[in-house]
Amino acid sequence: MNSQIIFHPFVLPFVLGMAFVLTYCVVGLIRVIAQLPKDDRKKFWRSLVTPKTAWANIRDLFGDCLFHVKIWKRNPVLGYMHSAIAFGWFMIIVIGHIMLFTLKPLQGVEVEGMARTFTNFYYPIFYKFFATETPVFAFLMDFFLLMIISGILIAVVKKIHSKIVGVKRVTKFGFADNMIRFALWTIFPFRLIAEKTNIMAFWWLYSIDLLIFMCMLPFTRYMHIPTEALFILLRHAGIKPSDPRKGYALAQIYSCPSCGLCIDACPMSVNDKNSGNTSAYFMKKLRNGDKEEAQRIAETCMQCGKCVEVCPVSIESCDIKMSQRAAVPYEIHSDHSYLDVISTEAEKSSKVLYFAGCMTQLTPKIMRAMKKIMTAAGEEYQFLDENGGICCGRPMLLSGKTAEAQAMIEKNTELIKQSGTTKLVLSCPICYKVFKEEYHLEGIEIQHHTQYIDELVKSGKLKVNKNDVNYVYHDPCELGRAFGVYDEPREVLENVGNLCKAKSEKELSICCGGSLGSFNLTQKERDEITENSVNDLMFNNPDEIVTACPLCLKTFARKSPVKVKDIAEVVESQIIN
Amino acid sequence: MKENILIIGGGAAGMEAATQLQKMGLTPIIVEKSEQLGGHVAQWDRLFPAFHPAKDVVEKMLNQVKDVKTYLNTEVTDIQRDDNGFHATLSNNEKIDAKAVILATGFDIFKAERKQEYGYGIYNNVMTSVELEKFFRTGHDARINNPKKIGFVHCVGARDVKVCNTYCSKVCCTTALKQACEIKEVFPDAEVYTFYMDLRMFGPGYEDLYLKTQKDFDVKCVRGRVCEVSEDMDGKLVIKAEDTLFGKPLKMTLDVLVLMCAMEKNKSIDAIQQKLGVANNTDGFMQNQDMYLGMNTTAQDGVFVAGACTAPKSLPDTIGEARSVATQVFNYINNK
Repeated sequence: MNSQIIFHPFVLPFVLGMAFVLTYCVVGLIRVIAQLPKDDRKKFWRSLVTPKTAWANIRDLFGDCLFHVKIWKRNPVLGYMHSAIAFGWFMIIVIGHIMLFTLKPLQGVEVEGMARTFTNFYYPIFYKFFATETPVFAFLMDFFLLMIISGILIAVVKKIHSKIVGVKRVTKFGFADNMIRFALWTIFPFRLIAEKTNIMAFWWLYSIDLLIFMCMLPFTRYMHIPTEALFILLRHAGIKPSDPRKGYALAQIYSCPSCGLCIDACPMSVNDKNSGNTSAYFMKKLRNGDKEEAQRIAETCMQCGKCVEVCPVSIESCDIKMSQRAAVPYEIHSDHSYLDVISTEAEKSSKVLYFAGCMTQLTPKIMRAMKKIMTAAGEEYQFLDENGGICCGRPMLLSGKTAEAQAMIEKNTELIKQSGTTKLVLSCPICYKVFKEEYHLEGIEIQHHTQYIDELVKSGKLKVNKNDVNYVYHDPCELGRAFGVYDEPREVLENVGNLCKAKSEKELSICCGGSLGSFNLTQKERDEITENSVNDLMFNNPDEIVTACPLCLKTFARKSPVKVKDIAEVVESQIIN
Repeated sequence: MKENILIIGGGAAGMEAATQLQKMGLTPIIVEKSEQLGGHVAQWDRLFPAFHPAKDVVEKMLNQVKDVKTYLNTEVTDIQRDDNGFHATLSNNEKIDAKAVILATGFDIFKAERKQEYGYGIYNNVMTSVELEKFFRTGHDARINNPKKIGFVHCVGARDVKVCNTYCSKVCCTTALKQACEIKEVFPDAEVYTFYMDLRMFGPGYEDLYLKTQKDFDVKCVRGRVCEVSEDMDGKLVIKAEDTLFGKPLKMTLDVLVLMCAMEKNKSIDAIQQKLGVANNTDGFMQNQDMYLGMNTTAQDGVFVAGACTAPKSLPDTIGEARSVATQVFNYINNK
């Protein structure tokens, strides 16, 4: 339209904002990489050229950053809302640039050299002011612009009444986050009006809106837009956060979009007062440098991992909370001298080695059931801790005391290796997690008893009856979400009775409330979580609740209207001799 | 003045309240869900601190209420109130009109299975204090077979956040020592241990019982909780505990382990209690108006409480409350 013009002052706010945000991102990128521990940095570079991780990078960069697959899966309305805005915006930028290179020279105005580079910077953003496009491009541009606006409309509805889009609780924002959101919402309507009417005031408003958006971006949740890509690369490099504020964690902090999907998911949110202890707020506190609050939330968290499961960006908030805990020296004075005198009666043989663990020692029914099952299946086994054993180390790890945990881990490793076993069976998912992640037991298969029993039943070694009882299965956090052991226990239960469904299952299962993870939840708060979880399990009126964790068992037993059993007890009662 | 007073529960509190009300010229009616009057006391052999036979007390109480109208094997299934008072429907479909209601529903025994780590219902030789009392009464229990080592665990289901009971059950400390002495009487050669958090010897003669337990009966009182129980190859119990006075963990093999189960609120009355509009307190027992001057009254006019339905209580406490509730009801009827 204004075909002879190649510059207008209203592009300056945009250019300024863009320059700022690009500079900030480059500096931030260097900072994150520089803060990585040396080994992690090496891992990172290597992962970029390793075909397997490189492919995962490409897959997730497209899947997560561009198409938002995870939000779609979780909530299609939110998926559309986010895609409409983010993907729509991405597309008009891309199409703008395609036009730039295919339609040159722009309406007969020849611009070369530095000037050309400069105009390229803003032409695609304000192209309608400077050029006329072909009908196909015009249609595409209008289409995506309207798509963005439709997304914004949903966002406005969500802001007014989030329940319409299936979200009970939303993140509460401060001034900056609210302001940038308002800027984002108005950018595109201003652009549409400017393009259709060519009124100068709207071109100015559009550009100033962009300036506001980009200048505030680094200090608000919208920083997730540029950061997520880097986070995906770092995540695939297999790095764990070593400091709650630096390096990898920093990339995660800025990648958190504060969308608040974790707020509804968090078991603690059953009490509104506690919804402020969810991961979205934890990440905010870290970003704002509020160490005290971040520490408090890190200590309150039960480490059930549900927020990580529902997170559309896969922020590893549990790991970051653990590194936050490790950053504080708790006054724990532990004396591990007793470890020297501990030995096991297990003799050297390749028999199955059973380790009950502390929690199973407190629920002797499980131990008794396991003994019966192994005997009935004709398995030769040895009991590692029948007369007392050593803790697996998880409680110490949860308090960030890695060295103390290591002492126990080493002693247990020694005892297990001494036995010469090739298969270690555990009854407690808490132990299972630590054995899988922290122990180096090469050549020894580690199984939880759900997997072991499933194997015994499938191989025909263990014969069981099927009865008429309706069971509902509760997925313990450390077995389900942590290791994806969802099918084995269900298959076992289908062999001994009828399996009915809970309202929230598998990766969405609700923590029992007894978790070792939290330091400061009160018993009353825990009870509320337990009641909520029990109600969820009772959704289809089962006769019995079955779980596979001694701690879940003890926790549910206090609040459940029906019998609560461990899967081993259920199987034990159905053995055919 | 021959107004009906409905008393729900025919234990110590219900019987004593009925006795007093009758003497005051009112007409008490007892509704008892079990087949006999006497409640938990009737199941007991001897009472602390002086080993007084429970039968003695129960028989005297029964004698006093022999003229009171009593329904056995009967529960209140519905209750309504209007300007004329309360109208209760019983499980035998009879209807009772009354001017006031006394809830004397007492307590239930904590279900020891809920503390799975103590092995009740899993290992043969773990029993409850109630079962041991029955042994004293009948002289028979398959689990008690000339035991050489016996342990008592205090506070099972009481002062324990993990089972949602934070309150003290009041009578178990003294009962444990009484039973420790009694088992020693039956098996003088046996070693007897009690595992306590602290011993709450609150009444007259109770502290003397504690001294006697140690001096005359040589019972060993260990300060520390038992943490877990398991069974060895011979079916003997292996317990792990901590002696907090020595600061040392200990492990011990026992023939019999007795769990001193706490009192819990009797939940079988919940539906009627709700209809009457009486709330529960934070311990899950019934809420009275206050613990000083309003211990027998509730937020509802004409609904009274007595005995262990409001908190764990000893027998003397309960009898005292039963007498006090009778006075309260008498004044309530007269001032109407």
